[in-house]
This record gives sequence, structure tokens and C-alpha cells, in this order.
Amino acid sequence: MSDLFSDPFEEPAGDVPPEPPRRASRRVITVSELNASIRNLLEGQLGDVWVEGEISNCRVWNTGHLYFTLKDDGAQIRGVMFRMALRYLRFQPEDGLRVVARGQISVYEPKGEYQIVCEHMEPHGLGALQLAFDQLKKKLQAEGLFDRARKRPLPALPRKIGIVTSLDGAAIRDIIKVIRRRHPNAHLVIRAARVQGEGAAGEVSRGVRALGKVDGVDVIIVGRGGGSVEDLWTFNEELVARAIADSPVPVISAVGHESDVTIADFVADLRAPTPSAAAEMVVAAKEDFRNRIDRLQHRLHAAARHGLQQRRAAVQVLSAHRGLAGWHARLAMQSRRATELEHDMTQALRMRLARHARLLQALRQRLEANDIRRRLAVSRGRLGSADQRLRAAATRGRDRADARLRVLAGRLENLSPLAVLARGYAVCWNTDRTAIIRSAASTSPGDHVRVTLQDGEIRCEVLRRSDS
Amino acid sequence: MEPTIKDFESALTELDTIVRKMEEGDLTLEQSMELYERGLQLSRFCHSTLETAERRVELLNERGEVRPAPASLGLGGEGDGERRR
Repeated sequence: MSDLFSDPFEEPAGDVPPEPPRRASRRVITVSELNASIRNLLEGQLGDVWVEGEISNCRVWNTGHLYFTLKDDGAQIRGVMFRMALRYLRFQPEDGLRVVARGQISVYEPKGEYQIVCEHMEPHGLGALQLAFDQLKKKLQAEGLFDRARKRPLPALPRKIGIVTSLDGAAIRDIIKVIRRRHPNAHLVIRAARVQGEGAAGEVSRGVRALGKVDGVDVIIVGRGGGSVEDLWTFNEELVARAIADSPVPVISAVGHESDVTIADFVADLRAPTPSAAAEMVVAAKEDFRNRIDRLQHRLHAAARHGLQQRRAAVQVLSAHRGLAGWHARLAMQSRRATELEHDMTQALRMRLARHARLLQALRQRLEANDIRRRLAVSRGRLGSADQRLRAAATRGRDRADARLRVLAGRLENLSPLAVLARGYAVCWNTDRTAIIRSAASTSPGDHVRVTLQDGEIRCEVLRRSDS
Repeated sequence: MEPTIKDFESALTELDTIVRKMEEGDLTLEQSMELYERGLQLSRFCHSTLETAERRVELLNERGEVRPAPASLGLGGEGDGERRR
């Protein structure tokens, strides 16, 4: 090894020529060793540093780590912030942002490079929260999530009111009390969620999304009572803002007091200054509704009555014409229907009963008529009385029964034995007239028989029998 | 036969429109009878919806189940002794 190589610019070049180094002091190390000692030096000696600068070349890799350069007017240093640390930042590091970063210097030996590994960062000047608020607000606004056109009207009378808040706070009690007072039979579905601290944003946003899926929930109140800026921070988180923006039903934000404004307020369809105010907004007083409906109903009746009265007058003129009689009847029927609509059901029932009664009556009459006919057919002796009843029936206007009875009576006449005899027939009896002889075979020559004719009887003797 | 009623709000709006139309007059008898009957139907619907909405407080849990809220929440409790229907 030559001196030239092992003796770099250790001494300032000057008038005095460099003194040849003494052999004993020369110690050669490798690059690895050098970088290792630099590393020890930097990492060991510097420890935690706070450094102020402007962020540039800022980029989050898909590993989730943030890489950037921190610079001022005269110098720059590379920096990294790992995913785990980044999670706790409330604002988004971005190019041009002046920050104060805390971290340790770390040397990457293979490349002889050093960087600052950032553990925490805060914006210079502004508070971190304020910056985060501004950043998210700007971002969501650019997406149009605050647009007026997105705001939906609340339902006039909610079927079910969804509420996302803590069950421990005063907010839930305030909300329920006010809703109960205005509308005693309102239906509430509550989703309990922590409203501050780690994980609260997740719970609130899940709650809003879950309530949006509950059948019948047509409006959601999300919020909490008053607190410090940090306490209210959940409602400045993007998760919550997105859940509100995605809600299928209108959302009312109700966070803290009048003076507290959160990102949730900007995204919500309606901002209530307090939880109690949200309850007032969500349901109009029941009495107001009732009065409004009553008034409308009254006007409806009045308008209908007025229209009918006008027409009734017209109808009276028209009804003078014979040709319009049917029209008149129809109008009258409809007018009755209109004024008695409230009683339609009972009316219909009554009419059906009446119709059944009439049917019953008709059946009874037909039964009676049948009875008369049967009895008339049995005996001639009772014909007179039947005649009487028939006549009575006829005078009551039952022409049809009358006519049929006449036919029957005629048929009875024909059946009478006397009528048969008058046509030339005769009846043959045994001697003591106890039985009618119907068969030639039942007689023998020499038997005596009696024969009845139309006007008297003759006694005869059988001379001969010839069977046919 | 009658068109259905969507919800309270649309019923109220429709009723309002019907009343106004009838007050303007200028309808045939059939039209005004139809409107009148529809109007009655709507106002009855509104009244009954207003009165029969269920008075309930429920909790939606993490599993998406809706359960009655425990009485311990004091919900709807003291101070609002309104009559039940």
C-alpha cells in the first residue's frame, strides 16, 4: 500500500509540507467499519432530536410508511415515518407544510446514508387539530360532500327515529325527553356508541351505517353533549363524515353546544346546535299535525257539500224533464252516498240483512203455496176451502198461483169417478159392493156383480167369460 | 281499486292538493265524488298513522339485532306521564 492512498487530506494544506505520518499511528479500516462507527456516533450521540423544517417529496408507500424530505433554506435531510407512528397523526403531512418533527437519526450503512426516523410531528404554528380539521374540510368540500344539493329534507312524520350516541351521556336523555313531549308515541331505535377516545369514530360510523339498514328508520340523529375540542374530535374524523355522507336516510348532526362546529355538521343533512334541538327538529309537535289534518278534513267536507248543493239546485230544474228521471235518481243516490259515506259499512250490512229477510219471506210464501196444492190434490171435499184460499191468494195479487191452482182443479175434475162415468164408463163391483172387479179372470160364469153407471146401478150375472 | 297510500307525508300532500282542487270547483260530479272519497280515505289514514305510531324505544346491537331498550335507561320515564293509547 502506498502512502498516497492511506494518507488522505488529514492536515490542512499550507506552507508547511505535510509531515510524514508515523507508521505506528496509521490504522486502516474498512468502509463497513467506518459506516458502523459513524452509525454508533450519530445514533448514540445525537439521540432524540427536534427539528424544524418544510416537508417536500412527501409520499406514502404501499407499505403504509411515509417518506419525505425535510429542508430549510440551506440544507435538507431525508426522513421516514413508519405506519405505526403515522396512525397517531391527526393531520396529513403534505408538501410545503412546515413542521416540527421529533425523531432519531438513523444510518443506513449499506448506502452510507442517514435519515431521521420520525416518531412525532406537529404542524408549525397551527395546532395539529386545527390543521387536521382544515385539511379534512378542504378535502371533503372538494368532493362535494357539503353541497347544498346533497341535503335531503327530513320526513314529516318519521316512522322510526335512529339515534347514535352514548347511553351514558345526558344527550340521549335530553333527546328522548324532548321527542316524548312533542310526540308521545314516537318509535326510537338507539345505537349505543362511544363518542370519544380511541375507536370512537369506528363505533359511531358503524352505528350510522347499521341504523341506515334498519327497516323503517327514516332519519338518524348522531351526536353527543358538550366537551373539549379533543372530546368532540370523533365528529371531525373522516370515518364518521363518510358514514354520514353515505347514509341512505337524512342525518341530523347534534354535537356539543351551539358554538361547536364539526366536520360531521358540514356533511349532515341538517345541523342541530344541540342534541335537544335535534329532537325538536326531528318531529313536529303531534298537535300541529292533528290540527292540520282536521283543518284539511273540514275543508274537504265543506267543498263537497258546496258542490252538492249547487248541483242539487240544477237537478231540481232538470228533473222536471221526464227523460232525466233516471239521471235524477242516480244523482240522488250519489248524493246520499256522499253525505253518508262514514256509515257505508253499517249501511251495506243492513241492506244485506234486509235482502236476506225478503228472500226468506219469498221462500216462506212459496212453501205455503206448495202446501195448498198438495192438500187440494188429496181430496175434492176440501176443494172449496182451497178455492177460497186460492181466491184470497188471487186477491193478494198472486196471479201465478191462482192460475196454477185453476189448472190443478180442472185436473181433479177429470179424475172424479162421476166425470168418468159421464163419458160412458162403468164400474163393476162384487155383490156386497166391497171391492171393484178389475179383472175378468176374477169372475166365473154364474157370479153376480153390480155395475155402476152414470145415473144408477144395475145388477148382472156373468154368463160367460172370455179372457183377452 | 283505490290507489295505495305511500306514507304519511305523501298522504298529507295529496290531501292538501285534493282539498284545493275541490275548492276551486270546476269538476264533474264523478270527479268530485272520487276526490272526496279519496280525501276521506287519506285523512283517515293520516289520523290513524299519527295516533297508532308505536311508542317504543329499542336498541340496535352490534349484531344488527333490534331489542327493546332496558327500562333502566329511564327512557320515556319520569316527568312525562302522558296517557297511553
